[in-house]
Amino acid sequence: MDIPSEESVKKVIGHQFPGGEYLIAHWENFLLTECTGAQALPDGMAHPVALFHVPFLGANTSISEMFELGQASSEFSIGIESYEWEFYKPLMEEELYQISGSILEVERIVDEDGLFDRIKFQFDIRQDRQDIARSTITWHYNRGRYDRS
Amino acid sequence: MTEVSVGDEIPSWGMPRVERSRMRTMAAILRDPNPVHWDAKLVSTLPLGVGERTINQGPLGLSYMINMLHAWAGPTCVKRIFMTFPKIVLSEDAVTAKGVVTEIGPEGNVTCDIWLEREGVRLLEGNATIVFPEQG
Repeated sequence: MDIPSEESVKKVIGHQFPGGEYLIAHWENFLLTECTGAQALPDGMAHPVALFHVPFLGANTSISEMFELGQASSEFSIGIESYEWEFYKPLMEEELYQISGSILEVERIVDEDGLFDRIKFQFDIRQDRQDIARSTITWHYNRGRYDRS
Repeated sequence: MTEVSVGDEIPSWGMPRVERSRMRTMAAILRDPNPVHWDAKLVSTLPLGVGERTINQGPLGLSYMINMLHAWAGPTCVKRIFMTFPKIVLSEDAVTAKGVVTEIGPEGNVTCDIWLEREGVRLLEGNATIVFPEQG
């Protein structure tokens, strides 16, 4: 596959996702928590791992669209650089959250492993104008080996 | 606040076997179409040399460290967590979350280095800021 130009990849800087609302249903949190190997948390608290999927689904995007925005050649070309999650209040089951998100940064990098584009997404969760949590996702869109000569 | 000092080790938390069934459930919850989480035959064709196994979702590996922090400091303790993913976690792996206190900050913030390891090899590495619940 052809490598997308740096200019075309950087066009997504500042892209705003539609945004929207999300409610973590009890059944969803039950299954999610079971996947982690933990017992259910008390008082209707959602497992913090929900801060991976709730932001992008609530912002009305998806893993597939995030791959497409970075012009990924396939699912296998994506690598995780980092996740940063900040919790200002615990996430709760059955509560409605408002979510916004955007693409903060795109950087083209060449290193000993090849060429990749580093794309940083950021999502904010609020409830009644109060900040609840923030998720920052940084992925590598690997473009394969690169001939520096 | 619970007495904590720089250099203290956080009690480890073990996942004795990373189950494929949990990856499949997670893929459905995340609406994650990536087949590496549920198609072991496909994974065996990739240049990873891991055979017919599936690859655990990054957030699931991270969740084991959250479980460790919850067991140590309670279910509301995590204020910030930063994680990198230098190696993959595979189905059937036995992994252990570990951590050590690196800083005691103002207002009771405790910063820790945390990681997930398999047979002594670090797969995920990061840090977290936690706060112990007030005791009263």
